[in-house]
Amino acid sequence: MAQQYGNLKKKPLGKMLVYGALSAALYAALLSNQAAVTALFTRGAWYAALPIATAFAISFVHGGFTNYFWSVMGIEATKKSLRTRPEEKRSYDRERPQPQPRLRARV
Amino acid sequence: MHNIPFEAANFIDLNLMNILYLFIVGFIGGLVSGFIGSGGAFVLTPAMMSLGVPGLVAVASNMCHKFPKALVGAIKRARYGQVDVKLGIIFGIFAEAGVFYGANIQEKIKAAFGDAGSNLYVSVAFVLVLAVVGGLVLRDAVRTYRSGNADSEEKVAKLASWVQSVNIPGTMIYFKSLKAKVSVLFIIPLGFATGMLAATIAVGGFIGVPSMIYVLGAPSLMGSATELVVAFVMGLGGSFKYALHGLVDIRLAGIILAGSLFGIQLGAIGTTYVKPFMIKLVMGVIMVIVLFSRALMVPVYLSQLGLIETLTDTTVKILKNTSFAIMAFALLTGAFIVLQAMYKGHRAERETAEKEVMETA
Repeated sequence: MAQQYGNLKKKPLGKMLVYGALSAALYAALLSNQAAVTALFTRGAWYAALPIATAFAISFVHGGFTNYFWSVMGIEATKKSLRTRPEEKRSYDRERPQPQPRLRARV
Repeated sequence: MHNIPFEAANFIDLNLMNILYLFIVGFIGGLVSGFIGSGGAFVLTPAMMSLGVPGLVAVASNMCHKFPKALVGAIKRARYGQVDVKLGIIFGIFAEAGVFYGANIQEKIKAAFGDAGSNLYVSVAFVLVLAVVGGLVLRDAVRTYRSGNADSEEKVAKLASWVQSVNIPGTMIYFKSLKAKVSVLFIIPLGFATGMLAATIAVGGFIGVPSMIYVLGAPSLMGSATELVVAFVMGLGGSFKYALHGLVDIRLAGIILAGSLFGIQLGAIGTTYVKPFMIKLVMGVIMVIVLFSRALMVPVYLSQLGLIETLTDTTVKILKNTSFAIMAFALLTGAFIVLQAMYKGHRAERETAEKEVMETA
């Protein structure tokens, strides 16, 4: 899509390659040591932090890669969605109840 | 959870076909989740179980893939100004409580009635919730489309207008997605129900998103995006709980995540190309199709419990396979609608841009 707008911005090819390499390394480490990883990560108790930390690491590294991947492919959000929008008034099905004036009697 | 057997010894061997299968299912699930905020996970647990993964390991690994996926999706959609972090976190905390309570109920049902009883409970919950909520969401989407007002700003539902008008001192919080203050006392039961559903059918968003839209008054885009924050909070707590018992197969979670992170980015991008009612349409269509998938399984569990005549093995096999096929069809249909809507939106924007260029030249 970037092409259609006259290459308004440079595609993040370098970032995609860096994150892609990191992601590949992470998955290679995970899948080439399956037995050791499975044994260690399923001990329970404090070892529970290991799968959680790995999931976070994947989300950061592979998430970064997939983000740049789609950008390089030219698939990005519409330009209008990235503009900052002022607060809009929304319509309501019915009027909200207005606060009623109260009379306070003084004794 | 205390009686959960240590199932690490049952972790399956992974071959290339298994990896590819999980990657593709993950991608499609991620695509749908990125678009409607949830809904992609329900097919993953049965998909893993079809490879021979024990039920609890499949549930735990699904949960562990869900929270990082939701995190990535939430960050992406926050860039488009669609996420209400405050609402997501508050909603998510009560949803987490619902998850624990729901899991507790599941365990009690399982202890009392066995696997068949537990499965029947899950299927009945699926059918009831999806019939009521899915029907309402789909009807609303179709009405909006037919009314010709699909382009106009979404109206706040009457119930949501009332909820926003109720003032309970000491409990009011302002939410940017609602552009109004709402009492946290309304959020507690909604979050709790979302968590309970997540613990029961693995997709809390089927209550979470509609309740944010129709009860609290959030726009569809913001409701579905905020659900990703809720899913992150719920998924993180749930994953930790399962990991404490050594039930998470990080290899499975990682492979699904490899596909679903591609999908969730694409689904999130897709939300910027479509009209808000499309979120409701995709969600409604998936919910209604899945409803039939689970309804097919009810006779199987009733038969296993001895409540109806025993079904033959062949009948059970046919029903199970058909149920899984319908579930996969639901997800594929959702993904197709998302991709088609994206393509149309993309083409329309390209034409507008070309027109602008022509006019300037």
